[in-house]
Amino acid sequence: MAEAVQAKKSLPKINKVDQPYWQGAAAGKLLIQKCKSCGKLQFFPRVVCVDCFSGDIEWLEAAGTGKIHSFTWVRVPRNPAFKEEVPICYINVILDEGIIMESRLVGKGIEKVKLGDRVKAAFQETHNPEIKLPVFEMIER
Amino acid sequence: MRRKKVCFVGYGSTEYSRKSEAPVLWYYAEAIRDALRQTGLHKKEIQGLSITTQVSTDYSPHVAEQLGLEVDWVLNGDYGGAGGVMSVRRAADAIEAGHVDLIVLVGGNSFDRSVPQQRPLEYQRANYVDVYGYGGPNTLMALIQRLHMEQYGTTLEQIGKIATAQRENALNNPQALFREPMSFPDYLNSRMISDPIRLFDCVMPCSGAECVILASEERAKQITDKLVYLVTDAERSHYQVANMLPDKTTFGMKVVGDRIFGEVKREDIDICEIYDDYPIAVMIQIEDLGYCKKGEGGKFVDAHDLTYRGDFPVNTGGGELSVGQAGLAGGFLHIVEALRQLRGEADGHQVKQAERALVTGIGWLNYGRNLGTTAALVMERRK
Repeated sequence: MAEAVQAKKSLPKINKVDQPYWQGAAAGKLLIQKCKSCGKLQFFPRVVCVDCFSGDIEWLEAAGTGKIHSFTWVRVPRNPAFKEEVPICYINVILDEGIIMESRLVGKGIEKVKLGDRVKAAFQETHNPEIKLPVFEMIER
Repeated sequence: MRRKKVCFVGYGSTEYSRKSEAPVLWYYAEAIRDALRQTGLHKKEIQGLSITTQVSTDYSPHVAEQLGLEVDWVLNGDYGGAGGVMSVRRAADAIEAGHVDLIVLVGGNSFDRSVPQQRPLEYQRANYVDVYGYGGPNTLMALIQRLHMEQYGTTLEQIGKIATAQRENALNNPQALFREPMSFPDYLNSRMISDPIRLFDCVMPCSGAECVILASEERAKQITDKLVYLVTDAERSHYQVANMLPDKTTFGMKVVGDRIFGEVKREDIDICEIYDDYPIAVMIQIEDLGYCKKGEGGKFVDAHDLTYRGDFPVNTGGGELSVGQAGLAGGFLHIVEALRQLRGEADGHQVKQAERALVTGIGWLNYGRNLGTTAALVMERRK
């Protein structure tokens, strides 16, 4: 029997709307959307401002810092390609700009993570050299 | 919305299986046949058809063709776990408007390998969630459960009590896949999936289907003397969706509950069939529905007996947690169980006083927030 096709870790299917976000990440910047009409900040990238429905949106570089809002240790990833990395610390972060973001916590000290811990963005390489994933690391105290 | 002249006239179910690869159409047909048998109706009398599934690419008219149904109304109720309640709402609208008199609604699931087993992930799920190695809904609900525990002091004992009470309800339900007693230590020691979500917080995916038949009051009276009326119903898709600092531990069920209990009194409800993809989701809905304050769901669970013999019967047949989740039939399971109770047909787990039931449905965990679809209805047995 033929060997099963090796599953690959999921990568974003970049579209016209979120291309600037992924270009920013590849350059080590965490970009969020800002509505030019009402000033609302938002994430994930969308075609409209979710507050005033304007389509006039620009990109803003976030400070990349925030705090842990909630977290879980993933033992059974949806995509089996991630199995080798379990447990994965999957997080909700509240950026200092006041925006909730889903991401992953990596690096030193994550086994002691608790709600409210300060974190900062990092940019993780993927199997596609053009794509980096915004993740977070603990800020040491 | 207040309903006056729409009735549930019957229901049908299939056996649940963890292995069967029979196509979802076969399951649909089995469940519809079961409901036709119960009501004595012939398939030619079906005027409308609603389907709900995640495993078939067939549109609703294709399903009608394959089942040999000529109908004047069709619907694909693609509302996730709220598909049961939300499809019933659409059907009730059509009946009240006089378009049709009788509609069959069916939800189902199968492990048919000839069709895709999973739809492609939607944009935000694919690009901003799955890339981090998330574990599906288990992971997203785990974030909510942790927050509920940390913010409100909710304990695993309190959350686990929902799971163990529902198991007790399932012990005499022949449809349930899980009919072995479950203790709190069994729950607590079950394998960690995406902590604090454990194996026994999760539903068992299975094959199966559920069917309900809805009719105008006039038509219903010709079919059965067990008249169960749709009394009121409401829905909300998304809660705080434009808020970048959303409340993760409140669902749109809060909005739904306010509307429902603007029409009926909480104390008039005899049984609650609350969509149970996870015990924590049941607890949060109990809060959102106003049975207690936000954050006091744990204390509420402590203070009540949730079994079918208890003072606050919840998921009287065991719910999806003990019966199994036949995909999006899960949203119909709760409606069917409520009908069994109100018609006095819940052998082995019958609630003594069951005249009025509340049924809820929830679907989709959205980005960073809470639930995508939330809906509820109240039904009432009238002699």
